[in-house]
Amino acid sequence: MDGNIEFTMGLSDGLAWPWPIAVYLFFAGISGGALATALFVRFYKNQTENTPFYKAAAVISLVTISLGMLCLVLDLTNPLFFWRILVFYNFSSVMSIGVIALSFYIPLVAIIALLALEEEVRQYPQLKMLLPVIEKLKNFRRPMEIFVLVLALSVCAYTGFLISALVRFPIINTSVLPALFIASGMSAGAASAKMLAVSMFKEDLHSADMKLLHGAEWPIMFSEALFIFMIAMSLFTGNEGMQSAFAAFHTGTWSWVFWLGVIGVGFAGPLLLNFATSHKFSHSAKAFYASGLCAVSGMMCLRMFILYAGQQYGI
Amino acid sequence: MILAPLGCSSVKEDESDVNKPHYAMVFDQNKCTGCGECKEACNLANNLPVGKSRLLMEQHSGGVEGQPCPHCGKTTECGCERKFVRVSCQQCKDAPCVTVCPTGAAHRDEKTGIVTMDAAKCAGCKYCIAACPYDARFINKETDVADNCDFCLKSKLAIGELPACVQKCRYDALIFGDINDPTSYISKLLRVKDSVRIKPEFGTEPSLRYIPIVKLGV
Repeated sequence: MDGNIEFTMGLSDGLAWPWPIAVYLFFAGISGGALATALFVRFYKNQTENTPFYKAAAVISLVTISLGMLCLVLDLTNPLFFWRILVFYNFSSVMSIGVIALSFYIPLVAIIALLALEEEVRQYPQLKMLLPVIEKLKNFRRPMEIFVLVLALSVCAYTGFLISALVRFPIINTSVLPALFIASGMSAGAASAKMLAVSMFKEDLHSADMKLLHGAEWPIMFSEALFIFMIAMSLFTGNEGMQSAFAAFHTGTWSWVFWLGVIGVGFAGPLLLNFATSHKFSHSAKAFYASGLCAVSGMMCLRMFILYAGQQYGI
Repeated sequence: MILAPLGCSSVKEDESDVNKPHYAMVFDQNKCTGCGECKEACNLANNLPVGKSRLLMEQHSGGVEGQPCPHCGKTTECGCERKFVRVSCQQCKDAPCVTVCPTGAAHRDEKTGIVTMDAAKCAGCKYCIAACPYDARFINKETDVADNCDFCLKSKLAIGELPACVQKCRYDALIFGDINDPTSYISKLLRVKDSVRIKPEFGTEPSLRYIPIVKLGV
């Protein structure tokens, strides 16, 4: 007691936001990250055709954001209340702004996916009625792509801003969280889209697009590691509450998730698979998929760590 | 000597719109015996699920674990020290729950300025619960919407009565009133008594004031 009065009890029962929210952050990150990467490649290389990577990214993006929304709705105390978020708005609320962004983002991703899969749609006579729609939408393709790129990055960042508004938790309440979530969303999103491009859309493992993505992977991963290091250091050197939250990195179950999952699988995994193995193995399909899965699992562990360890160490 | 640490935790008083009321509550730790009748009154007045109330009482002890209790001398857990802290919504002037609520269900009542809930708007996202620096909000398991202590705004203040807990307290440990009205009892009390706020460093300007027990005989 420093001449002060305190209480440590709380009225809520346990964690306000459990794992479905971490899974939602994960899916939203992959969705935004995959699409943003594909659009960066498309704009950078001035592609006009539907490349396998672009198709894969569009599919991944649509599927993951839909699954993410499902998690979000199921985590409400009563999923039937969902319509209230869509009807009532509060512009000072990060979540409300996110809802607005998502209600533009999700339909646009669906359109982008439809345009990307034009050839596939043509193969099925049952889907013929979609062709005139595709022709019409094609006229607005470029502006839509630019808009959805902005939205994709916004969605990644939004998942960070959403939780960084929680002032009680030092690990969560950091300004670099949105940047960290953009970086990790892009690396995991690109990894999952790459895997789908090779497995489903018959992309060559060593195509020019893949080479470009491999090259971009490492700087993104480095910035991700840097952001995590920044969070850890600010906690380590911070005030009393921040210092006690630093314990999340070296004690308890969640420190294992951090060191084994985030650092071991997420960072060391792809690095070792690419640089510590023979040239033949590191260029094989096995290494490609293993490394991709490592990146995706590492990202999931990061979201779980941030949300659970974050809410465990409150001030 | 005694006053200095108490004064450290006070936050600059914001003299905004004095025409509007600013309802506040004082919890006097010197008077509270921890009987818990305030919790029962809260449950009853606000139609809450069995055993649930919008406030909790946290018992504190000046003793050190393993050492004999300074009051009764027992080394085992005795709980004899009647030192309690009210745990409930702090009615922040800058309330994070109101800021983060995506639907405006957690809002400030226009007339009274009290932070309360519009149950018909709440989507049950629990953002307000995670955002509350005091962990003073919860989900009402019967209605599935978030809830907080709003000084019985709809149940008691609406009919011109004091909050249920204040009415029920036999020891006058709870004082409720408008601190924008200089003639109110609470204003007069706060002028002569030192009070502190919980975790003022969050900067949310809570409206709950605590008069802590001052150690005697030093």
